[in-house]
Amino acid sequence: MDFRLSEEQQFFRQAVADTVDRLIMPRVEQIDTEDAIPQDLWKEFAGLGYLGLRYPEDLGGMAADPVTCMIFYEEVTRASVGFAQAVIMNMLMGTHFLYRFGSPAIRERCLLPALRGEKIATICFTEDQSGSDLAATRTLARKVDGGWVLNGTKNWITNGPTADFATVLATTGPDKGMKGLNFFLVERGADGFRSGQVLHKLGARGPVTGELVFEDVFVPDEHLLGEEEGKGVVYLGEILDEVRCMTGAMALGIARTAFADGLEYARKREAFGRPIGEFQLVRAKFAEMATDLEAARLLVYYAAWMIGEGLGPRKEAAMAKMFATEACLNVVDEVTRIYGGNGFATEYGPQRYFRDARFLLYGGGTHEVLKNFIGRELVKGR
Amino acid sequence: MDIAVLVKEVPDLEARVQVVQDGGALDVENKRVLNFFDEIAVAAALQLKEAGGGGRVYAVGAGSGLEAVRRAIAMGADAGFLVDDPAVDGADPLTVARALAAVVRAEGFDLVLAGRQATDDEAGLVGPMVAELLGVPCVVGVTAAEPADGGLVVGREVDGASERLSVPVPAVLTAEKGWVEPRVPQVMGLMKAMKAEIGRRTLADLGVEPVPPLAAAGYHGPRSRPAVRMVEGEPAEAAGELVRILRDEARVL
Repeated sequence: MDFRLSEEQQFFRQAVADTVDRLIMPRVEQIDTEDAIPQDLWKEFAGLGYLGLRYPEDLGGMAADPVTCMIFYEEVTRASVGFAQAVIMNMLMGTHFLYRFGSPAIRERCLLPALRGEKIATICFTEDQSGSDLAATRTLARKVDGGWVLNGTKNWITNGPTADFATVLATTGPDKGMKGLNFFLVERGADGFRSGQVLHKLGARGPVTGELVFEDVFVPDEHLLGEEEGKGVVYLGEILDEVRCMTGAMALGIARTAFADGLEYARKREAFGRPIGEFQLVRAKFAEMATDLEAARLLVYYAAWMIGEGLGPRKEAAMAKMFATEACLNVVDEVTRIYGGNGFATEYGPQRYFRDARFLLYGGGTHEVLKNFIGRELVKGR
Repeated sequence: MDIAVLVKEVPDLEARVQVVQDGGALDVENKRVLNFFDEIAVAAALQLKEAGGGGRVYAVGAGSGLEAVRRAIAMGADAGFLVDDPAVDGADPLTVARALAAVVRAEGFDLVLAGRQATDDEAGLVGPMVAELLGVPCVVGVTAAEPADGGLVVGREVDGASERLSVPVPAVLTAEKGWVEPRVPQVMGLMKAMKAEIGRRTLADLGVEPVPPLAAAGYHGPRSRPAVRMVEGEPAEAAGELVRILRDEARVL
C-alpha cells in the first residue's frame, strides 16, 4: 500500500499548479465579475494542450490515468471553478461520446478542434422537469429516413449559448424509460437549433449557462452516438464514476484555496491583542477542516485510482463526490466565519468560494440521489 | 551549438520561512520551484539553439534538483542530468561547481548557461566557478546574446548603460532578468519530461571529493516594523509635527 503520488504525478502537479498560478490566478476576479471566460486566456490555456489530457496520444492527448486527471481538475479549480468548468466540459463530458462513437468525420469536424480549444463543446441532460431523474427526459428523437428529428428544450447547459456542438440526451420513446435514452450530436447551425434564455448564477461564474431549444432539428444517422440504440444510459455509466470523482476533485480545489486563505488570515488578523489563530476555537476550526479535507482527498484519489485499475468504484465514486463536496461546503462556510465581517465583503475571496462551492451540489447527482444510490448498493450487497 | 544549462531547485519565493531553534536553523515551507534566473537561462538556451540552427540543450542539476531538471525538459530541453548524491545538498558551492563542471565536460558543450544567482542563498558563485574549472570565459548578468563570427555578442546592463561584449565560445554566461520571457510548458513538454530518463551521477562517478561546506553561524529574521503612526491635523500643522518627529524622535534629519 502506497499513498504517495508517483514522481511523475508530483512533477505534473507542480507544473500544472505553476501554470494555473501564472495564467489563471491573476484573472479570477475578472472571470467572476464579468461572468465571462476571457477569450485571450482561453486561447492561451487551450494552446498548451491540456484539453486532450485524458484522450489517446493519436488525438493529441496525453492518455493520462484518472489520478493524473484529478490532479489537473483540482489544480485548475483551485483558481477558478468557472474557468475549470469550461475547460473540463471540453475535456470530458462535452467530448467523450464523440471520442467513443464519433465517425472519422465527426472526430475531424468536432472532437479534434474541441481538444485544441477552437470549438466549444457541451452536453445536455437537464430539462425543466428532469435532472438527476434521467428517465423523465422528454426531449424526443423521432426516427425519419436517414436520421432523427429532435424536439425539446434543455436547461442549465454549461456553455449552452456559446457551444459549437452539443451532445444531447433524448428519448426515442417516453414510455421506454431509461431504455429509450440516447445521445445525439447536434451542431450549431442546424435548422431549428437555437439558444434560449441565459441563466444568471450565484457562483461558478464565467461560462455562459442557459437553455438550448430544439425544434424539429434533423441530424443524420451517424449523429446517434452509440453502437446500439437505447444504450445511452449504459454509455453514460462509462464516465459517471469519472464525472463524480472529478466533481470531488473540484471540491478539493475550492476548499484548498479557501483553507489556505483562512490560515493566512488567522495568522495576521489580531483580536484581543493576538492573532486570532492563537484562539482555541479558531484552531479547532482548522483542525476539523483539515481533517475533512484529508479524508476527502483520500476518498477522491482512492476512487480515481480504482477507476484506473478497472475496479469500477460505483459506490466509492459517489461517496467521494458527496463527501468532498460536503467537506468543501463546510470549509468555505468556516472560512467566511474566520474572516468575520470581511467574509461578507466582495473585496475578499471567501464570499466567492462560498458562492462557488454550492455549484458542486448538483452535477453528478444531488446528494439525496447519491445517498439513495449508495444505500441501494449496500442493501443489495454490491 | 550544444548548450548546457545549470539548474537549481529553490524554495518558492512565496514559501514561508521561519527562523527556528533560537536562530540555529531555518524552517522553510516545502514549496519548491526552478530558480527564477535559471528558468530565464533555460528559455535563453532554447532561443539560442533555434537561432544557431540546432544542437542540443541539456539541463544539469544537483541534489534535490530533480524536478528542476524535469522542468527544463518540459520547457524544451533535450535531455537532463542530475548529480544524485546526498552529499550535494547543503554542500559548498565549490563542490557543486566541480560536480556540474564534470558532467558538462563529459557531455560536451559549446556554451554553458546558468542563472545569475539562485534566489535561496543569492551567492551567484557556481556559474563563474564552473567557468574557471572548465577554463573558459565567463560573462555574468547577461540580458542579450546572439551568434556572431563563430562566437557570441552578448549584452549586459551596467551602471546606467548597456554594454556589448564579443565572447568566444565555449563560454559560460549567467542570465539576468530581461533576457527572455520564459514560456509556460506545453503538455507535450510535460509528457516528455515525465518520461525522460534523467542521467544520474554520484560524486564518486564524477571523481569529485566534497570540500568542507560553509557553516551558518546563525539566522535572524528581518527586524519587525513598528506600527504606522498617523500625523493628524491641518496640513501646515501636520507638516510641522512631521518635521519635529523626524528631527527629534526618529533623528533622521
